[in-house]
Amino acid sequence: MMYAFSYHAPISLSEARKRFEESEDAAYISGGHTLLPTMKNRLAAPSDLVSLGQIEELQGIAVAEGCLTIGAAETHASVAASDAVTGRIPALAGLAGSIGDVQVRHRGTIGGSVANNDPAADYPSAVLALDARLHTSERVIEASDFFQGVYTTALEPGEILTKVGFRIPDTAGYAKMRNPASRYALAAAFVARFGDSVRVAITGASEDGVFRWTEAEERLSKDFSAGALAGLTLNEADMNEDIHASRGYRAHLAALCTRKAVELQGRLTLL
Amino acid sequence: MTQKPGKLRAEFRTELPSGWAFDEIEARIGPIRDQLFKQIGQPVRRKEDRRLVTGRGRFTDDFSVPGECYAALVRSPYPHARIKGIDPSAALELPGVLAVYTGVDALADGLGPIPHSPVPSTKFDVRLTAPDGEAPFIGPHLLLPIDKARHVGEAVAVVIADTKARAEDAAERVDVDWEELPHVTDSLEAIRPGSPRLWDEVPDNTLVCSHFGDADATDAAFQSAAHRVRAKFHINRVTAVTIEPRAALADYDKASARSTLYAGSGGAVRQKRELASVLGIDPDDLRVLSYDVGGNFGARNRVYVEFGLILWASRKLERPVKFTATRSEAFLTDYQGRDLHTTVELALDENGQFLAMRADNVSNVGARCVSLSPLSKGSGLITGSYHIPVAHLVARAVFTNTMCTQAYRSSGRPEVTYAIERLVEIAAEQCGFDPIDLRRRNLVSADQMPYRNAVGAIYDSGAYEENMDKAMALFQWPDIAARRDDARARGKLLGVGLANYVESSIGSPVERAEIAVSPDGEVEVVIGTQPSGQGHETSFAQVVADMLQMPVEAVTITLGDTDIVSVGGGSHSGRSMRHAGTVMTMASADLLAEARRRAGAEFGTPAEDLAFEDGAFKCRATNRFLTLSDLSTATAPLAVARTNEMHAPVFPNGTAICEVEIDPDSCQIEITRYASVDDVGRCINPLIVHGQSHGGIAQGVGQAMWEDCAIDPSSGQQIAGSLLDYGMPRADNVPSFDCEIAEVLSPTNPLGIKAGGEGGTTPALATVTLAVLDALRPLGVRDISMPITPERIWQALASAREANMQELVP
Repeated sequence: MMYAFSYHAPISLSEARKRFEESEDAAYISGGHTLLPTMKNRLAAPSDLVSLGQIEELQGIAVAEGCLTIGAAETHASVAASDAVTGRIPALAGLAGSIGDVQVRHRGTIGGSVANNDPAADYPSAVLALDARLHTSERVIEASDFFQGVYTTALEPGEILTKVGFRIPDTAGYAKMRNPASRYALAAAFVARFGDSVRVAITGASEDGVFRWTEAEERLSKDFSAGALAGLTLNEADMNEDIHASRGYRAHLAALCTRKAVELQGRLTLL
Repeated sequence: MTQKPGKLRAEFRTELPSGWAFDEIEARIGPIRDQLFKQIGQPVRRKEDRRLVTGRGRFTDDFSVPGECYAALVRSPYPHARIKGIDPSAALELPGVLAVYTGVDALADGLGPIPHSPVPSTKFDVRLTAPDGEAPFIGPHLLLPIDKARHVGEAVAVVIADTKARAEDAAERVDVDWEELPHVTDSLEAIRPGSPRLWDEVPDNTLVCSHFGDADATDAAFQSAAHRVRAKFHINRVTAVTIEPRAALADYDKASARSTLYAGSGGAVRQKRELASVLGIDPDDLRVLSYDVGGNFGARNRVYVEFGLILWASRKLERPVKFTATRSEAFLTDYQGRDLHTTVELALDENGQFLAMRADNVSNVGARCVSLSPLSKGSGLITGSYHIPVAHLVARAVFTNTMCTQAYRSSGRPEVTYAIERLVEIAAEQCGFDPIDLRRRNLVSADQMPYRNAVGAIYDSGAYEENMDKAMALFQWPDIAARRDDARARGKLLGVGLANYVESSIGSPVERAEIAVSPDGEVEVVIGTQPSGQGHETSFAQVVADMLQMPVEAVTITLGDTDIVSVGGGSHSGRSMRHAGTVMTMASADLLAEARRRAGAEFGTPAEDLAFEDGAFKCRATNRFLTLSDLSTATAPLAVARTNEMHAPVFPNGTAICEVEIDPDSCQIEITRYASVDDVGRCINPLIVHGQSHGGIAQGVGQAMWEDCAIDPSSGQQIAGSLLDYGMPRADNVPSFDCEIAEVLSPTNPLGIKAGGEGGTTPALATVTLAVLDALRPLGVRDISMPITPERIWQALASAREANMQELVP
């Protein structure tokens, strides 16, 4: 059972910010799929929960000037089903549709996932690989500056992620091996191609959370084929380890997912 | 296919103890005529489902009583630690906190230990003893320990408060002064000299050590054998993960000095008896209610300390007290299952005939001994489905700093089935035999039945080779080569694993049925079993409907209230359909005898001259007839009760075959095909039995592929404490099963029933493992331990590659 807390459901960004500032130890809540289990296990005890679910500024999916912008409060289910997403970046729609189960996808949000930066979450890999811009209540942050290690981002206390603007690539692919228990990513790779430039982001595998695999990017920028990655490996020592996958297996899986994502562009691939 | 019990009795192959075979005369039931079966054998849709799927189930946490308060437990964070003191003062200062109780308080109030009776006690169970031959020391299971905590999660104090949140807040403030002690969590470690000791009474942690079979004859057979093979296995520890967490609500009525406990379990009668003993009260002063139960699998059969604690607290505080476990508490402190180390050896002659077997089984019972059923059941079935003339088994049970283990679906049998089937496969490979031929050569044959195995278990009936042939036909065995080629073309490795199994269903020997026919034609049956999804309300009604020649809709099954159900063994060990079916048949015969007497008196004709047809007694001389309801009046209701004691075990058996495809790159594994033939004896309701088979297979596959109560040996902490880390089978993990029911009637009971609840699970650990090994054999993999996750496959392939490299280096 959770510790006692107060719950607020503001309807504007400014009201949410105000609530947060005025509270002793507040936390924003979006889908709550990480925060609530943590609170139920008594590992988090915010004095106030400020819901971001009723704020219009955080909603909507739009396409403009080579950019697909998704409101932070959009659920995984709505991203997966959005024509704007499936039409422009089908791998991103596939990614959203592969998160958790039906219930999770109808509660969990893109903003919550990105702001939480769980090392096994899916979205951070798309944010990095699609060179996204993270819009907040205060500013715009480049993807390369946003993720700062496991569960850590560039967001300041009280700052709210409002929308994620993805650069629309020529093509992109996402390949994932799921943890057999939690079905989070044991390792996954998002590979996006922008002209001659290729971006590869790996999630699930590293101890430090999502990262860009620059060696793979260099090779793929010259020769966009799975074969171009032959012999390229990740450093096992940088990988995460638990009962589900050793460092060596994670390094193997990350490389395999990258090859699969190159081979199978335009879609989600579950290994 | 089906045989009359009477026929078998004439063909005894072994000397049988008295009371083994069922005797219709002695049981006073008369012959059971198959032609009367209208409902038995039919796939009647479950009567209980509408209630359960429309939210009208009565699960424990659904009950509330005015004024109820809540219990929260203070649990040990250490696997082994002395309790130097417990200071509740900071907890008691919080608002709404009513009490904090410790083991010292419980002792002062005279509470006793839970009287677990871990040693199975029917006449046919193997005899497990302490190393000195005496009754084993089991470690008293006090509600709260006073000396030390012996496993992570052990409750050492209980807090009662007016809300659940306040109880949990207060529990965090109870200050326990701990002195950490060295711990041991693995049973093979625990029996090493110098290992940490859990109980002073058992210095080497070995509470049971028994020998079975003939050691000298086995040694002699091994010495002269052409082939000998040996293997060591660990059958991993799992937990039940019931959808409904364990829960209880205790209510005390001061005026009558009676307590009522709402608590779903595997049998309310046992809960009542044992909890009354803990509290030191007259059993009549305790009523236990167990209605709908959201999953059991064995975990709920034994009493939990929380049930005793809230009963005690509710009597002290004169307030109702509720406890509902969180999922985290369930993972830590639900009774767990399996955890057996086994070393097995097989001797064969030059033709592949099995000559002898040795086994050394070490069961991890946890911090105290709740049940020896897994070790006992496995011991009796050590030779599996095969005729092995002599065998010798050492069976040990060992204390460790882990949660107690209990009988878990198909207690003990998947463990030994895994061991013998893997050993047979190893023998085939090492000695150059075809694995199917080797099995066929050694299966116990139908004409050997009843068959006494090398450790004394009497297999009642079965057609084992026929099961194997049928399962192979169902699986389309000849197509394997083509399917393997097809998989290879897709980059996948295909493997097939076949396992024969035999299991024993014994269970608590006593069951009672009360049957009453009301004047308006309703039949009420009171029975002491406890379903947790098995559909007793339907299948039991089918039996009584046929016995009384009444419609199945007219029959209502009442269970789960100890004020109504006085006697009953609950549901475990596949006992329910057989025990309930038998005693309901007996009670039905009694009821018909009484009805016949009444009808005779009414008609003025000798009772034996009346015909009983379609639920009515008919007078041959006239057209008059009287139905059972006609013969029941408000003042003289037609009602009977019969208690039956039945010790003879039955041996459900069968064959299962699993096919897997493995991606050698990702190491992802998929079950692509699963077939089984299960001899359940007479099948009362094939719809329900198939459901049991399907669930049983999924549960066995779960253990083989994902489920694991992994414990970090250095810290003693359970690593998989939530569903994030404890993998469960899901609907998309298993294919549509091809299951067939075989019915070789058992001669031990009137309906010829064996059991159908556990046969899906029993061979599944072996079939999955053998299928994986078959798939990986070309790459040099010869062994892999459960759970077979993609990580384990990757490691096995990496080791095999390394070994191959070393072979290539001169």
